[in-house]
Amino acid sequence: MGKVVVSALRGVSLKIEKGEFVAILGPSGSGKSTLLHVLGGLDRPDEGEVLIDGISLYKLNDNRLADVRLRKIGFVFQFFNLLPRLTSLRNVELPLTLADVSDRESTKKASEMLELVGLGDRVAHRPTELSGGEQQRVAIARALINDPKIVLADEPTGNLDTTTGGEIVHLMWRLNKEKGQTFVVVTHDPSVAENADRILFLKDGLIQGEKRGAGGVHH
Amino acid sequence: MRRKQIVSMAWQNMKQRRFRTSLTTLGVVIGITAIIGLASLGEGFRVTIKEQMEQGFELNVLTVMSGGLLTGVPSFFTEDDIQNISKIDGVVLATPLVQKSDVKLFNDNKNSTPLVMLAVDFSEFWTIYPDRLVFENGSLTQSTRNDTTVIGYNIQHPTEVESFANPGQNITIQMTLQRFPPRRENFTFNLAGTIAKSGAAGFINFDDAVFIPLETAQKVYNITSVDMIFVRLANPSYSDSVAKKIEERFGGSGEVRVLVPAAFLAQVETILNMLQIFLTAIASIALLVAGLGIMNIMTVSVMERTREIGILKAIGARSRTILTMFLTEAALIGFLGGILGVPLGYAVAQAMGQFLFRYSAQVTPERSIITGTRTHPITEISPVLTLEWAALAIGFAVGVSVLFGCYPARKASKLDPVKALRYE
Repeated sequence: MGKVVVSALRGVSLKIEKGEFVAILGPSGSGKSTLLHVLGGLDRPDEGEVLIDGISLYKLNDNRLADVRLRKIGFVFQFFNLLPRLTSLRNVELPLTLADVSDRESTKKASEMLELVGLGDRVAHRPTELSGGEQQRVAIARALINDPKIVLADEPTGNLDTTTGGEIVHLMWRLNKEKGQTFVVVTHDPSVAENADRILFLKDGLIQGEKRGAGGVHH
Repeated sequence: MRRKQIVSMAWQNMKQRRFRTSLTTLGVVIGITAIIGLASLGEGFRVTIKEQMEQGFELNVLTVMSGGLLTGVPSFFTEDDIQNISKIDGVVLATPLVQKSDVKLFNDNKNSTPLVMLAVDFSEFWTIYPDRLVFENGSLTQSTRNDTTVIGYNIQHPTEVESFANPGQNITIQMTLQRFPPRRENFTFNLAGTIAKSGAAGFINFDDAVFIPLETAQKVYNITSVDMIFVRLANPSYSDSVAKKIEERFGGSGEVRVLVPAAFLAQVETILNMLQIFLTAIASIALLVAGLGIMNIMTVSVMERTREIGILKAIGARSRTILTMFLTEAALIGFLGGILGVPLGYAVAQAMGQFLFRYSAQVTPERSIITGTRTHPITEISPVLTLEWAALAIGFAVGVSVLFGCYPARKASKLDPVKALRYE
């Protein structure tokens, strides 16, 4: 048997403005995660390109691409993806460490960031000692610590109960408004998507349509 | 990412898996212990043997013999030969020696059978070996006569309590003038002195020898030529050139054999060096096994940490950072193993040096194979460990660890972040 080529995305074209909060809504298997990975410089597409600030991501070599992920993009995952043996503080510090920021400065910045996501009293806790919502806050703090232009979130509420999920969405929305960062949130949950500036509908690897969201008017 | 932070992260990882890290490190510790143990013991052995050999040979004395060492063709060299050798550049003194066996000594009711009777020019021969031929009793200060004799330590002391004769006494030496049919004759000699335990010079053991004047022997045995020529050099560096010239003078085709202690020692040293390299190489196998252990454990570790590697890559870690992180872990294990293994290896060598040879000393005969060069057999060896060796061993441990860590570390660095993130 030969290799079967699976095309998760089949001709997606989209443009996201600076500071926009975009939700990509679609059922599982629609190619949402793949789209997010491609947008974030994690997964080289077989064809096509991704431009960030006019730079074509996949013309960069692996090292440059890693640098783009480090400095311009922040990821938030469904399963939080924190390093279990590091404290919240050290988890949040990680991107700063990778970016060669001094220990003192990175500790200061990470503490401030944890404060910002409402975990000022949880800095010394390890992920296993935190609730799901708290872990996702740590993950958001980590995604934002290098002050990226773009935050990409893959089902950020997928592993949380409705109330906590709502809080997380609200937190992201608030940060989007306060810091002016671009947010792209992938979800299968319409209630998560509804507060976005714009909602894109993805199905079978294609964007089937879009509509304006509430843009946070309810908040 | 800065080195300090990478090291600190690697250290955290190792601490997290304390038991596993300890076991992996133990492998390196054992490897380095084996290397340092054998190498330092080998070096100690080398030094001890070398010292013994140097005690057994005067480096500035050459012995000229006829033919092969054991062919024993007697009475070969003439007075002219001695004169010619004396004139070679670097030669201080050349003195003849006649060697006779089948002699017996008598003093009253005591008798002794020396291994060998050496007929020499006393004053010249004592100039050749001033440090070795030291008198225990008596001396050669008074002018020697044709019936002067000196006896070796083992003849004077057949047992610890007995002594054969006192200086000034007359003793009888029975010489075998002809073997077939045997013709033996007794001669009276005056004992000038006895020599303290001196061991052997090359292949002659003075402890078992009786000395008489050369002219006396030549007259009694009716010979004019001599068996050997002892040559004292200005310094050992003349060894090769003088030996070569002597051989050339006699045709160079194995007619004579020149015993060059410096060359002999160099040969022995080469053998000892080879032995040490061999031992160290064998011990290195232990370290290679430890390296495989590191590779094994790190491969498992990379698999376990696949997701973590994916996370690091997703948040912007370069492949090189991941590679360095894993290699640093390997290097730390190697370093730790080296640091612990060096003193442990030295301790093992100390223990082995003390006990191993203590046992072997009990089964070694009184006279060691190096022709009685030492009165006591080797009972212990002090291992020798230099700072360079220690540093080299630690470096070797780190090197092997990193080498074996390369494969898993590379594997980790090459992981596709998306696949790694999905890894359960």
